[in-house]
This record gives sequence, structure tokens and C-alpha cells, in this order.
Amino acid sequence: MKSLRQYQVIVVLLILLLLGGCVSMATEKMTGHISNAMLNQPDPEIVRAGAPAYLLLLDSMIAATPSDQDLLISAAQLYGAYSSGLVTKEKRQKKLVKQAMDYASRAFCPANEAVCAAKNQSYEAFASAVADMDRSDLEALFTYTASWLGSIEANRDDWNAVADLPKVELLLQQVIDIEPGFSYGRAQLYLAMLRTLLPATMGGKPEQGKEHFELAIQYSEENDLMAKVAYAKRYARLIYDQQLHDRLLHEVLDANPEYPGLTLSNVLAQQQASMLLEDEYF
Amino acid sequence: MLRWLVFLVVYLVSTGAGAAVTLKIATITPDGTSWMQSMRKGAKEVSERTDGRVKLRFYPGGVMGNDKSVLRKIRIGQLHGGAITSGGLESIYPDLRLYSLPLLFRSFDEVDYVRSRMDRKLIEGLEKKGYVSFGLSEGGFAYLMCTAPLETLADLKEQKVWTPEGDEVTRITLEALGVSPIPLPLTDVLTGLQTGLVNTITSSPIATIALQWHTQVKYLTELPILYFSGTLVVSKKALSKVSEQDRAILEAVMERTFIDISKQNRKDNTKALAALKKQGISFIQPSNDGQAQWRKQVSHAIETMSQEGFFSRDLYDELQQHLARYRQETSGK
Repeated sequence: MKSLRQYQVIVVLLILLLLGGCVSMATEKMTGHISNAMLNQPDPEIVRAGAPAYLLLLDSMIAATPSDQDLLISAAQLYGAYSSGLVTKEKRQKKLVKQAMDYASRAFCPANEAVCAAKNQSYEAFASAVADMDRSDLEALFTYTASWLGSIEANRDDWNAVADLPKVELLLQQVIDIEPGFSYGRAQLYLAMLRTLLPATMGGKPEQGKEHFELAIQYSEENDLMAKVAYAKRYARLIYDQQLHDRLLHEVLDANPEYPGLTLSNVLAQQQASMLLEDEYF
Repeated sequence: MLRWLVFLVVYLVSTGAGAAVTLKIATITPDGTSWMQSMRKGAKEVSERTDGRVKLRFYPGGVMGNDKSVLRKIRIGQLHGGAITSGGLESIYPDLRLYSLPLLFRSFDEVDYVRSRMDRKLIEGLEKKGYVSFGLSEGGFAYLMCTAPLETLADLKEQKVWTPEGDEVTRITLEALGVSPIPLPLTDVLTGLQTGLVNTITSSPIATIALQWHTQVKYLTELPILYFSGTLVVSKKALSKVSEQDRAILEAVMERTFIDISKQNRKDNTKALAALKKQGISFIQPSNDGQAQWRKQVSHAIETMSQEGFFSRDLYDELQQHLARYRQETSGK
């Protein structure tokens, strides 16, 4: 098995060496095709087994063209999606999100040095850097923000990571200020999740979270089933509304999961919806 | 026929003696936190070991209201228990205030020494008021955090200091320090800090990060001001429906759970304190003279509270004796 994997890697590397740098257009097309094939795959197990080979391929392509913005963004997104959706081992997840964050930083930071330099400084210093940020590349900004959020989620036992959540919230707010429906409303969805972390009795703003959940569903034209699952899990449970919780989850289970770019995510959402309905929360 | 009767009797005894009881427990702690995960794990073990006769149903995230309304719902039987802060239980048993008197403890070692000798008494006191506690859990030390450096009492007097609404101990203490505190409910503190209505808070490191208050303060005075604790209580009335045997299981599991939560909280607070420094908050160490000045003023406040019957003098004196003995034993080490 091990030798087979080594063989696959060697073949991939050989192909890359043979093709050289003259076919960047073709590789871009190919990465797009493979990404789509994964995101549209209704069987998560196939992606779980196949994704590592593709991640390696991306690694090697980036090694050949280290500052290719599109490749860096694709790699950050796929490392992030793979670790959060398909990997359950904590240690492994931490390594993968670190890789995602590294690629995302390489894509975002060259045009935003001040923001990245202030990442580990006080919230005030970070907020003032964000105020002067370059907002032209929304894809890079969103990838950096989502990767950071994924990194915090995987490192939630680290208080310094948790303390960074308000900084991520600030960046997400920038994304939706520029384009409210960005990435099927995913920026709305992440913001909704952050705003439903705390109950109202502790100073949280779950009603603001609710608005963002509704917008996320609206911008995805109800095709992003993960938005409904998160709405049920984070908001309906937080305010103890079983009716809303069960309605949302049944809608998820009744929906057709196949939608370009969201199929894999939707299948995983349906799996989560079944589990949430089964556990005796209410 | 006889065999059938024997079977029936056995069946009735085994199922009838302890009909299934579901204890409804509320807490302000949000679901998904490590504390709630521990409590759910404990509840699962209780259910398994009692063959489903004792179940715990949780209402997390303050869905049943704050500590005060949870206690009211327990009194009218709508709920059976709650994971509540010691401050929230003061109205039932005022001596739970003792550990959170200002500047009482100087280190976690002192806390451990005193608590190992006095927790039992407080738990018994609570039980006399009709509530069974499964042990106290540590919430941590609270520190003063501010937009300006606070080293001396004079520095503090110039600030707009938040006090939790209805928290008499903090109010009296701050007034003894010459401060006019600004009472606000927990829900309004972040907004209060953002708008400048208040600029000074007293909070534990984990609460400061979880509630995002760290984004609004710049300095932390490294002097433990208060010690927070909490407990899981269930009304005695509700527990009377649980058989002796099942109650022993419930107590063993939940007491162990609370010891684990307490240990985890200490680790979390230590890490969270370090994280606050990493987040750019400057730590201020008051001088020995400065600390003596704080303690002198605070002792006046404690005297006032004692005279007004905020806690029982006997227990307070006992606590001070433990502290004195500990300090004597460790001095020069």
C-alpha cells in the first residue's frame, strides 16, 4: 500500500517535471476540474480517500510556482475544507489547518502586510490596520479569514486562538460590507456562527446571528444545506426552540443534496442533520 | 402459578422502587463548552449506571434565565436544579460569599489549603437550606482590568468601574476604596466598555476572553481581587424521588465530574491569563506598599459587611485562622 502511494506521488512529480512551467494555464484548468470533482462528489468516503493525493499534487505545484495566487487560494481552501469536514483526529486537523493558514497567508499578506503584521498584536492595533486594508482581492481576504477561523476551531483548547475570534469577526464584517452574498453567503454563515457563540444572558447577540443565518440561506437560494444545519445547531439550540430546530433539519433531509459546488458539503450536512435529530437535546 | 407470582413480585420490586426520574438542570454556561461536555458525560454515566432510572436534562446557555430566575423556577418545581455561581446562591445561603470576599486569597495554594478544610461545611450549610450540592467548582481569580494602568488606589479612584448589578459585596468594597461603581447587567458590559460608559472591569481571564472584554482593556493589575466559584445544586425535594442506591451513584459521578471541571478551569484560567498577555495587555504589578494600602481599605469593607450580617462571623474567623496557619507554615519556605 505504502509503495503504491509512493508510486502515485512519483508519477505525479514526474508528470509535473515533464510538463515544466509552460502549462500553467492547463494546470489551473486541471486544479479547477479536480476541485470541482471533489466538491460535487456525493460520496464523502471517495473524497476522504482521494483528497490527500490531490493535496500533495497542489503542494508540488506550489513548490514549482510559489507565488501563484490562484494555486495558493485553492490549496488553502481545500486543506481547510478537508480538515474541517473530513478529518476527525485532532492532531492531524491541527497540522492541516496550519498548512491552510500558511497558504492563505501567502496569498493574502503580500498586498496586506500591515494587517498580517498586526495579527498577533492587540485588537486595537489590528482594527486600525484593517481600517486601511486593501479590499480589492475579496477572494484572498475571504480565504485568509476562513482559514483563520478554521485554525481557531481546530485549536479551540488554546485560549490565545480563542482570543483572536473578535479579529476574525472584524474581517468577516469587511467581506460582507463589500459583497454581502459572497461565496453563496458563506461569509454570512461564518459571521452568524460567531454571533451565536454566546447566549443573550452573557452579552451575546443571537438575534444578530439569526439575521445572518437567514441571509446565508437567502444568498445560497436555499442550496447550501450546511447553513440550515448550523442555524439549527447554533441558534435554535441556543434559544431552545425545538420547533425551529426540527423544521430546519427536516428540510435539510428532504432536500436534494446535488448542487454544483455544494454537493459534498450538502451530503455531509444531511449526515449531521440526522445525528442532531437523533440526540436528545430537547 | 407460584413461579409467575414470584416473577411478578421481582418485576414490581425491581421497577417500582425507583421509577424513572428526570432531573431538569439549568445553567448560564453555553452548550458545547468543555464544562457542558463534562456535565453531559457525567449525566450519561449516571443514566447508564442506574439503568435509565436517573436522567439529567440540561437547559444550557441561560435559556431558563439568569441565576435568580433559575432559583425561582426551582422553588416552584419547574426545574430541579442548576449549575449556579456561588454569588447566585448567596440569597439562599449567604456564607457562600466567604470565598469571594475581596483580596482574601493571595495564591491558588492558599485557596486549596482553605477549601480542603472548609468546602464540606459550606456544602452542609447549603443542604440545610434545602439544596444538595455536588461540590464547588473553581471559577478562578478575578483581576482588575482597565484602559489605564492601575497601580495604586489613587489610580483606581479616577476610573469608571463596573460592578455586576445586584452584587453588594463588590459595591461595598469599591465604595470602601473610594470608588463610585457603575452597576450594569452582564449583558451590557461589552457595550459599556465600547462606548466608554465603564473602563474598568473585575473578571477572570477565561470570562474576559469568552465575553470578548479583552478587546477593550489595555492593562491588568496582577493582584487577585476576588475568587469565583460555582456549584451544581439539586433541590432536596426533587432528590427525594431518587432511591438511596441511585442517589449514591448520582453523587459519586457528579462530584467527580465537578472535581474534573474545577481542575480544568484552573488550567484554562492559567492559559487564558498568559493569552491575555499575548493579546497585548500589559500586566501591572502593584508594589508591596501599594498592596498593603489596598488590603487596609478592603478590611474596612469586610468589617462593614460582617456587621451588616453578610456572612457568619464564626465561619469567617475560621477561614482567617486557616489562612494565618497556612501563611505561618509556608513563611520562610
